[in-house]
Amino acid sequence: MTARQWITVTLLLMPGLGLIVWLIGTVVYIAFAQSFGLYNINGESALTTAYWADLLGNNIYLRSVRYSTYIGVMSAIFSVVLAYPLAIWLRKPFTGSMTIGSILKAPLLVHGLVAAFLFVNVISYHGILNQFMQWIGIWDGPHRLQNDNNAIAVLILQTWKNMPFALLLLTGALQGISDDVLDAARDLGAGSWARFRKIIAPLTVSGMQAAIVIIFIGAVSDFAFQVIAGPINRQSLAQLMVGYKGRGDWNSAAVVGATMIIVALFGSAILAGLSKIVMRGRLK
Amino acid sequence: MNRLRLNNILMALVIALAFIWLFIPFVMAVLWSLVDPSQPWTADKLLPPAMSFYRWVNMWQNSSLQPALLTSYTLAPSAAILSLLLAFPTSFALGRIAFPGREVAKTLCLLPLVVPPFITAVFFTALLYRLGLTAWRPGAIIFAHAVVFLPFSIRILTVSFETVRQDHIDAARDLGAGHWARFKAAYLPALRPGIYASLLIVFIQSIEEFAIAFIVGSPDVVTIPVLLYSALGQDYVRPNAAVLSLILVIPNVFLMLFLERLLKSANPTLASGKG
Repeated sequence: MTARQWITVTLLLMPGLGLIVWLIGTVVYIAFAQSFGLYNINGESALTTAYWADLLGNNIYLRSVRYSTYIGVMSAIFSVVLAYPLAIWLRKPFTGSMTIGSILKAPLLVHGLVAAFLFVNVISYHGILNQFMQWIGIWDGPHRLQNDNNAIAVLILQTWKNMPFALLLLTGALQGISDDVLDAARDLGAGSWARFRKIIAPLTVSGMQAAIVIIFIGAVSDFAFQVIAGPINRQSLAQLMVGYKGRGDWNSAAVVGATMIIVALFGSAILAGLSKIVMRGRLK
Repeated sequence: MNRLRLNNILMALVIALAFIWLFIPFVMAVLWSLVDPSQPWTADKLLPPAMSFYRWVNMWQNSSLQPALLTSYTLAPSAAILSLLLAFPTSFALGRIAFPGREVAKTLCLLPLVVPPFITAVFFTALLYRLGLTAWRPGAIIFAHAVVFLPFSIRILTVSFETVRQDHIDAARDLGAGHWARFKAAYLPALRPGIYASLLIVFIQSIEEFAIAFIVGSPDVVTIPVLLYSALGQDYVRPNAAVLSLILVIPNVFLMLFLERLLKSANPTLASGKG
């Protein structure tokens, strides 16, 4: 390509890709810079590790790192584990498979806040679940299910919202496998398990990695589900960050934000690697 | 057990589960939105004792619902148009020019999707403070939405640009068409479904977006999700939250169904008139 063509391409990429890289780059840069006392909004800027040291010795912060990681990993695993068999089932069209697919994917159309409201409505103290359990006689009185300490409500919401997304990606990956390959394996004497392990699993690894990574990042940085349905005695990273920012403590907010980026990055790399090992059934 | 029977059992199972995880929650929301304040819906009653549209009328007249609707439905189309305009040149380059590093560029376009939205929201606000640009918050939200949702518009338009047929462009040029005439005759028919789809998807995403609207807009700008968030938190009145949830979810379901049809029509055969 000539210099002129390069200039044309660069100019064309500027308003779209250029703005993306600029905005996201700036945002991530500010998060890291402010966490080290630079680029301050109020007062002087000076390079310091005091904010990191401060938070690393803070139990609320450490608990929320563990908690958000837990929510992220569990949400990604639950969503993919539920979506996988469904995707295999829906690989080949049959009468009604379109309808089933649409019903399963419906939560994609429902806003997270609406989902949280619908769910809280069902599990509330006098909600329909409590009523039902008392009616069939399993529970004597209403149980307090909202804001449970193990964040089961948050995990159910995350799975409810994200399973369809995993299903979408996995169905795409599965439908890309041609029948010829599976038929050939069957002719060579491969049973269902061997076909799954030797053909379907390796060929759907990348779809599954994409699903796991995107769901993990979304769940690690969850704010709305946590605030509405999550446990009261601990905070998610996003909740903690927004709290610090609300009090004008930008530097602590930046430490939490930078932590969230690090957890999202390393966590998704580890999960993607692990899922490859599991799906290929070997280390390399 | 043969495969057909197994399928039927599985289908019945999924439909039964869908009844629990979709139908019941929505029916509950609809019922709660219809509870008349004259008689509260207590736990011992299966259905609300008195039902009316009082909550809907009341929310419409006496809450921030109207301004929030106006805000949401002004910000979203603006962000959609801005995003389309910003995506156009990049998509043209990605879809029609073979340059080294094109795949890397395509992947980089996905960046906003992997950075957590609250990070973008909080530190974009920090940037606005540093630059002293906090005066016009709606403008800041439109800009942030347009850039954050660029991956969608770039992706859709790139595919559209790829479907434009080179022989159409050459034919138009051979017939003496200038830049604009060539664009209208050869590009536009293939691009049209992509343009609509891009506008629609950014519109839906912007209507639903919560983090940026909540953090960048607070406290002046209130969109529907922000209003719903406060209705679920500090001002929790269940029937009111039910009304807001339904207002947020119903139009979007129809828009998404429309979008799906639009994306299905965006195939090269239809767009170029021949296979």
